[in-house]
Amino acid sequence: MRRKVSLIAAPTGMSPGGYVPVAYVGRDAPRTPVVELETSKSGSLWRVELVWACAQEPRALADDVDRFTDAAAVLAPSVADAPWLTMGAPGKSVEGALWRADREPLFGVSAQGLGTVTRAAAPAGWRASAEWKSGRWRLLFELEGWALLEAQRKLAIAVWQGAQNDRGGLKSVSSGWLEIAA
Amino acid sequence: MANANPVKRQIAMVLDLNKCIGCQTCTIACKKLWNKDTGTGYAYWNNVETLPGAGYPRGWGESGGRTPDGGVKAGRIPTLDDDYGRAWTFNHDEVRKRAGEGEGKPWLRPNEKPHWGANWDEDRGAGEYPQDNHYFYLPRLCNHCTHPACLDACPRHAIEKRDEDGIVLVDQDRCHGYRFCVEACPYKKVYFDPLRQVSTKCIFCLPRIEEGVAPACARQCPGRLRFVGYLDDEAGPIWKLVHKHRVALPLHPEFELGPNVFYVMPMSPPKLDAQGRPTDEPRIPTRYLVSLFGERVPEVLATLEAERAKRRSGEPSELMDLLIAYDWNQNFALGPRKREVL
Repeated sequence: MRRKVSLIAAPTGMSPGGYVPVAYVGRDAPRTPVVELETSKSGSLWRVELVWACAQEPRALADDVDRFTDAAAVLAPSVADAPWLTMGAPGKSVEGALWRADREPLFGVSAQGLGTVTRAAAPAGWRASAEWKSGRWRLLFELEGWALLEAQRKLAIAVWQGAQNDRGGLKSVSSGWLEIAA
Repeated sequence: MANANPVKRQIAMVLDLNKCIGCQTCTIACKKLWNKDTGTGYAYWNNVETLPGAGYPRGWGESGGRTPDGGVKAGRIPTLDDDYGRAWTFNHDEVRKRAGEGEGKPWLRPNEKPHWGANWDEDRGAGEYPQDNHYFYLPRLCNHCTHPACLDACPRHAIEKRDEDGIVLVDQDRCHGYRFCVEACPYKKVYFDPLRQVSTKCIFCLPRIEEGVAPACARQCPGRLRFVGYLDDEAGPIWKLVHKHRVALPLHPEFELGPNVFYVMPMSPPKLDAQGRPTDEPRIPTRYLVSLFGERVPEVLATLEAERAKRRSGEPSELMDLLIAYDWNQNFALGPRKREVL
């Protein structure tokens, strides 16, 4: 079932370090206010489709130092009360997949709190396909055997608009865990 | 401030700007040692720029750093096209293929018309010839600040300041390429490698330091204008120049980051009046030097003048002997594993 999910700007005041909370104070409006979400399950294969508006056509970034990529991530909690906005906490990890428009393949990500995200090759059987067309990204994650989602049936979303200088904690996120039906 | 705790020791460098001839040997020594990757073609951990001038990247110093009360100043990321200047490529193949064609053969030239680059405004300077035209060279590297803006800016904790020597390093395994460090550093001495998607910066030639060898930029300097050692070593040149003789000042102390690279500022010949007679004013305006090195500039210039006068009259001057670098080994104090300069 496709649904619209309102996103919020991740609070910059929570960002680790002394710079981002001050330099980006007041960056309260999400650069991606809404994302369309559709999930389905076939056997042990989870499909998660995200669609969002992105006015700027993606471009190669390998020759620039001041531009950022479009990206999106889906995360699931290891335990039901893992905090979402902080990307988990010690002993309450979150994990999922990170897609970046400027690279292949998919990243697998995990975290136990702000500033702890680790990126690695995604598990075998995880992939993503994406298309930008007429000002919209359509991104399909295909995640074989995602145990945490299977167990918790909760998902969170993050979207980065590269043209808006989104990166790291400058992102649009779902306001909490989204309940996912199979 | 994220890095309020002092380190055990702080390594530092002093550069005597009176001796820099702008030859860029330091730049090349650094570049060839550390920055040959394609993604850092534009990046110079060490550069030498002509002042007065726009510098490299253009307009560095205009964003980032601290307010006078220690608050964060928002920065911006320089652009490759307008601020750094892209690394030039040349028509080598065309020239090589047509090498024997006589008068019609092409000149070696950049493939695209460049409009900015490192040291683009070399030797332009300021003032009017012959009254007060002037320029000097400013070699720049990471200041390995006591309170690094880059470290404070990194939400990944990917930047550390080493306790044993205060060298500031980027852990590229942790770096995710967010570039807040590039934004926050007012000296713009953190560079982003767009191919590897990580930040890079001067490592003060850490592997050399650990073997008692001065950084390549200092060791290769034909002018012997660089001094390297620890700030607390009272037998070394850094302590003597910074604390004893008090003639070495940090660049832009108003950024409030505690730079650990210091400069002996340039003295200059007098301005001429309309009739071509020397005046009492130096060619390089003192107010300009104050804008770079802070309020102690007049005091330092007076000390340098006085010590130079002593040496001219045959009196001893530890300061002048040190700055002249009669014994190059005295420029570097990296004990206990110090190696002699041959």
